[in-house]
Amino acid sequence: MTTSVQTGTPTDPALGRAETILARWAPVASRPEPNRLDVPVPAEDVAQAAQALGRERWGYLAAITGLDHGPEADRLEALYHFCSGAAVLTLRALLPRHGGTVPSVAETFPLAMFFERELSEMFGVTVAGTPDPSRLFLPDDWPTGVYPLLKDVNPQAALAAQSETAPPRLQGKSDGDRFIVPIGPQHPALKEPGHFAFEVDGEVVKGASVRLGYVHRGIEKACEGQTWVQNLYLLERVCGICSHTHATCYALGVERLAGVEAPPRAQAIRVILGCLERIHSHLLWLGVAAHEAGFETLFMYSWRDRETIMDLLEQLSGNRVNYSCNVLGGVKFDISAEQAQAIRRALDFVEERTRHYLEVVSTDTLFLGRTQGIGVLSRQEAEYLGTVGPTARASGVPIDIRVTHPYAAYRAFPAEMVLDTAGDLTARFVVRMKEVFESGRVIRSILDNLPAGDLTVKMPRRIKPAETISRYEAPRGEVFYFLRSNGSDTPERVHIRTPSLCNWTSVLTKAVGAQLADVPLLLAGMDPCFSCNDRTVVITRPRRDPQVLSWEALRSAARQDRRR
Amino acid sequence: MTTQLEHPWQAALDKVKTWARVNSPWAIHFNTGSCNGCDIEIVATLTPRYDLERFGVKLQGSPRHADLLICTGPVTRQARDRLIRVYEQMPDPKFVVAVGSCAISGGAFRGCYNVVGHIDKVIPVHAYIPGCPPRPEAIIDGVVKLLGSLQPPAAKN
Repeated sequence: MTTSVQTGTPTDPALGRAETILARWAPVASRPEPNRLDVPVPAEDVAQAAQALGRERWGYLAAITGLDHGPEADRLEALYHFCSGAAVLTLRALLPRHGGTVPSVAETFPLAMFFERELSEMFGVTVAGTPDPSRLFLPDDWPTGVYPLLKDVNPQAALAAQSETAPPRLQGKSDGDRFIVPIGPQHPALKEPGHFAFEVDGEVVKGASVRLGYVHRGIEKACEGQTWVQNLYLLERVCGICSHTHATCYALGVERLAGVEAPPRAQAIRVILGCLERIHSHLLWLGVAAHEAGFETLFMYSWRDRETIMDLLEQLSGNRVNYSCNVLGGVKFDISAEQAQAIRRALDFVEERTRHYLEVVSTDTLFLGRTQGIGVLSRQEAEYLGTVGPTARASGVPIDIRVTHPYAAYRAFPAEMVLDTAGDLTARFVVRMKEVFESGRVIRSILDNLPAGDLTVKMPRRIKPAETISRYEAPRGEVFYFLRSNGSDTPERVHIRTPSLCNWTSVLTKAVGAQLADVPLLLAGMDPCFSCNDRTVVITRPRRDPQVLSWEALRSAARQDRRR
Repeated sequence: MTTQLEHPWQAALDKVKTWARVNSPWAIHFNTGSCNGCDIEIVATLTPRYDLERFGVKLQGSPRHADLLICTGPVTRQARDRLIRVYEQMPDPKFVVAVGSCAISGGAFRGCYNVVGHIDKVIPVHAYIPGCPPRPEAIIDGVVKLLGSLQPPAAKN
């Protein structure tokens, strides 16, 4: 009953292929769940194993999780999660707790440089050969040698012991003939803080960097000190726009760990809320992106129409933003026949409006002038850079967890993937608008066949030691949760990888070579969510001809970057 | 705020200044570590359904033009220094509105290692708007109450 909760097929054929590719290490592999393969590899072989997977184009790197087993066990693990459809392959590298070293896999999977920096600042693991070893999301004045996610480290005490010095101020860069346009952390175009520096030559962007971490709060550590139930409310506040996403992804994972499955009616209500959240998020994004393009009218119209969905969410849950729909083992509220009717009416209105917006973004000459052929991301680039969500789907990458690894009620009420091949900003608008219709269609099909029955099942308070991975398609892309229980009523480890983190590389790569005036829209095009990812520093320097990089040129550029 | 010189024009001048200040405060929004929930509600407050501009409140870009600083979220270590800098750049008289539970008390993130605390641990706050997140109506109510408190008692009726 338990382990097949979220898996489409009992054993995934992709895992058989992975075993062949990793034949050298496979004898010690294990299958903790039908869709997962754990392969312990010696730390020094991690890069080789990753290269083997990259060569065979087996999936993409989803996350690198650091896992501290505590001072008694005196060991630490670095888990490299690769995903292909529903299959999850984890390379487990065992390390000493202090002074461990792993080789970088950023050459094969450029996205790894974020994950590797997170691993090194949170756990003190040295990543040999990583392109940029600087801070990812800890503040500038963080004391050196304090690794907050180690079990026996108390960051608050370490910070209290630190002598009170004024934090270093942001230095304005003036370097010869380079002209740098700083944006943020406070900026009218950003409703969230991030600091961007665009190096320009006339109107053309020559280099782009971003410093995030302004909204890093330390949620993963806080989770370890709270019970499974308390964490539901904390994780709902990882992000205000996709609050239901995080709560549901976590609840599905915890239920799987506990060997419990929420009743069908609860799963259906979760998906309805998830679809409504996607619609409100996409309309919100449409407005913000239109605002960046200077199209204020569209901004105001789309936000006005979005209120229809906000009214529904409030009517169903009692709150406009943090719906608090989930409990562990089910949902809190039911959907009555009258409410179902209200949802249908609201969808009629929103779909009619969205049809109009789709027409505007795909036919309006002035608007197309700002979006068509701008920031074109080819499918190969998108796959290589690890892009996820609508940004990837606009480039034709078939990646959508609702379809490839259906969870909750998506197995009974399948969603269809919306793809486009153009890869430019127009395609990103079109994909998101079409997803509004798709979400509406899923909601209607569920409402017409809403399963009867209970809303909750009983959940145990303590959960036996186990590990699981929960994946969920948020409005911005795949959300990835790694959960580990230890037999108590608190989690041993909660690791969150959010979609915005995966999309930074593609945006900053595309910003280089673009007109400065296009940059706001390029940034908006990926729908960045700082509170989710609250990490990163990326430095993108101009490569020889950034506009026309072939697949091979991109790979060799990455290799050269690494040697530098 | 008011000059000390006794002058026949002084009372009239003060009246005009208060009238201008109360009728068209310009606001700036700064997220110091919020989850985004309050921020999208602030934007919703400015869009057609709620339309905060009815009260003359206008969101604009530069702290140097702002009378109102609308803050959301607990203050993270990385954002603390920037919050102080934004506040210092605003001309006097200036008013700070803390929006949401986190801005008032740290909320769900109280005690997290990278959180310094709530807004009034770092800069003075003039109005607190509770909620997780507060509804747009609550934000409007908070701002209007703040504006009301700027009126001298005689001008209130």
